[in-house]
Amino acid sequence: MRIQCTWPSHEMRLCSSTLFTFSKNSHKDLSFIRTRTTTVCPSVSATMSTVSTEKDALSGQTESTQKPLQVAKRLEKFKTTIFTQMSNLAVKHGAINLGQGFPNFDGPEFVKEAAIQAVIDGKNQYARGFGVPDLNNAIAERFKKDTGLVVDPEKEVTVTSGCTEAIAATMLGLINPGDEVILFAPFYDSYEATLSMAGAKVKSITLRPPDFAVPIDELKSAISKNTRAILINTPHNPTGKMFTREELDAIASLCIENDVLVFTDEVYDKLAFEMDHISMASLPGMYERTVTLNSLGKTFSLTGWKIGWAIAPPHLSWGVRQAHSYLTFATSTPMQWAAATALRAPDSYFLELKRDYLAKKEILVEGLKAVGFKVYPSSGTYFVVVDHTSFGLPNDVAFCEYLIKEVGVVAIPTSVFYLNPEDGKNLVRFTFCKDEGTLRAAVERMKEKLKN
Amino acid sequence: MEEKRELLSSVAKSITASPIQELSHLAQRCNAINLAEGFPDFPAPSHIKDAAISAINSDFNQYRHVQGICDYVAIVMNQMHGLDVNPLTDVAICCGQTEAFAAATFAIIDKGDEVVLFDPCYETYEGCIKMAGGVPVYVPLDPPHWTLDPNKFIKSFSRRTKAVILNSPHNPTGKVFTKDELEIIAGECRTRNCLAITDEVYEHITFNSEKHISLASFPGMRERTIITSSLSKTFSVTGWRVGWAIAPAFIASAIRNIHVKVTDSAPAPFQEAALTALRSPPEYFESLRSVSNLYYAQDYESRRDYIVNLLARIGFKIHFKPQGAFFLFAEIPENCPLSDVEYVRKLIQQAGVVAVPGCGFFHADSSVEKLSQDSYNYQDRYIRFAFCKSDHTLASAAKRLGELLDAAGCLNLK
Repeated sequence: MRIQCTWPSHEMRLCSSTLFTFSKNSHKDLSFIRTRTTTVCPSVSATMSTVSTEKDALSGQTESTQKPLQVAKRLEKFKTTIFTQMSNLAVKHGAINLGQGFPNFDGPEFVKEAAIQAVIDGKNQYARGFGVPDLNNAIAERFKKDTGLVVDPEKEVTVTSGCTEAIAATMLGLINPGDEVILFAPFYDSYEATLSMAGAKVKSITLRPPDFAVPIDELKSAISKNTRAILINTPHNPTGKMFTREELDAIASLCIENDVLVFTDEVYDKLAFEMDHISMASLPGMYERTVTLNSLGKTFSLTGWKIGWAIAPPHLSWGVRQAHSYLTFATSTPMQWAAATALRAPDSYFLELKRDYLAKKEILVEGLKAVGFKVYPSSGTYFVVVDHTSFGLPNDVAFCEYLIKEVGVVAIPTSVFYLNPEDGKNLVRFTFCKDEGTLRAAVERMKEKLKN
Repeated sequence: MEEKRELLSSVAKSITASPIQELSHLAQRCNAINLAEGFPDFPAPSHIKDAAISAINSDFNQYRHVQGICDYVAIVMNQMHGLDVNPLTDVAICCGQTEAFAAATFAIIDKGDEVVLFDPCYETYEGCIKMAGGVPVYVPLDPPHWTLDPNKFIKSFSRRTKAVILNSPHNPTGKVFTKDELEIIAGECRTRNCLAITDEVYEHITFNSEKHISLASFPGMRERTIITSSLSKTFSVTGWRVGWAIAPAFIASAIRNIHVKVTDSAPAPFQEAALTALRSPPEYFESLRSVSNLYYAQDYESRRDYIVNLLARIGFKIHFKPQGAFFLFAEIPENCPLSDVEYVRKLIQQAGVVAVPGCGFFHADSSVEKLSQDSYNYQDRYIRFAFCKSDHTLASAAKRLGELLDAAGCLNLK
């Protein structure tokens, strides 16, 4: 009888009191981050159309006479705002949704079949906390193929509920309250939220159009021996920028000089169109200080399966695993088995994926240009950002509302991806992870109704 | 590659491998019969597996929030406990009860907040509380029947107490908190204006007409209680990771927002299958505690009886028969000088059966020692046996233990 001993809670018994004491700095008091209101992750809230959370969040303080009990201070700024309103608006107006960051087509049959087989075979109970061994192996194999790096699947790979959880576990497991972390804006909104939960001091460096290049001088002045970590997302959501070798080299040497950790979110690594994707972990001297984060969802169009992972040297993986064990304990078992099959897909799968997306990208980009947007070049991901200002609306939110109501197409206002919303007011994000018919229909609507 | 041990804290560097981890490796090597893990080794109900397969085939595979789960959870809460739950605002779907609990903790605990827990208890609560900056304060339940001593309970509160954690039916003892005990807990929460987070994952597994009562159903508790639960134990799908939190709207909203930032979405096809699960007829829930014609009888009550009889016969002290959940917390035979860890080691090596040493559930700390008038040295005398196992597994365990009995018919480990 195959024994699957999964007692992570007990295994961690002696370790639990040591949570989050990794630090080269002394412990500081919790410092609250002055976060502006942040939104529900755009890719989810579109489907949450019946959840009237924003009303509650806004009226919560006056709802009843007795309100003795307060939510934690860390949450005071966390509300669902603009995006929930947008998605409700979209549904109301029957708009074509190029805002949501997930496909309207499904994943490949061979992966779905593997999941079904796993359910039938009875793989429905707790998996080992840090991952089903076969998946850990498949992740390590894939990583070796992609980067040349050899990692120990048992000690250096941790499976999580999506890359979102890998990010949360990395932040909560490796960042102490008061630690300084550098982010590049615009950024995926869970970064700021989980850093806030970890009590970090966030420093943001803005990437600017037209090429969203890393301002190295600005980075040099921001980074110091007080910096605990820097977070890099490449290929980058929302701009589609891919960090170049030169940029990564420059960041790497600053990190080595100042003893800074690097967390890299590489979920779009298989959607690298204009150049090859480079993993920071593969640069000289960097593996030992890097946590590489990835997931199944974008590569295999199965964003709802929530299979992600973190690859890091053992001493960093330990912190990630600690936090992970308290956040979700274990990841969906049947999906993990299917993910192992997926990651071993032949090269042809990945080539076809890119070909498909390139065709979709062309439809969208040509369409957006024809309509009159200033389209910034996107090297990777399935996103494109454009400047909307020629249409005369005052900011990105106003433009998106107009686009939904008057044109019947959804885009995302990028101001939600910056610490200072002003920085994003000229830009909106479109996605092309939709079938070609949908993309063409959206382009048609814009050509017809969107006037300069 | 070179390990950067200097990056670890001094505490982390001093930690050696956990004895419990060693035992689990030993069990694997010895191919031991596993009465340790808290999940079934029999199949999940077919109607629910079919629903999951259908969902995967029907392309329910992208990020999703299945409102229907909230609707059904609200109905069940109303039917079982008379609770009025607004499915649009009061329910947050999460990746298992684990994430619901983690999100609930982050939603209400600030640095320095004290949180009262009952001892023994499931390990993970403490980790979440500390991660959120909270301070766990343990109240020992009194053996042999794990009763709640109101004085100890009341003394554990301070001006900094923010919440009480209640797990009922209880892991590891199988205790179902009584109405009187719940009233004591509710009374203190109301008086002190505290919150409560409940873990009710075993809510549908109770025996001998014992009923699980939700703390939130007591006067004044609905507005201050966060209920967490999941599909896992009720539907034998611990690997699917679909759970929920039920709370007043402003707290549920906070939990939902945290969940979105921590995992974004629970696995989509299993959310779909959850609808089928939650719609199961009364006969399904009956099959959890007794034989059924319609469903594979999980029949936990018979399994409980089997294991209680088995272990009592061979010398374990079973003062307390589980009233719910699927664990038996048995005391090591009187004359045996071994600690729980040593006992389990021998159990693995000689009997080829593994269970969990109870010390992992006890949290001896200064607050407990202060509160406990009796000595607290029972904490290494208990072993937790899981009986959520097939007839074959239980019978095999009985056979193996049977081979090690002495003349008096008691288990004799060398």
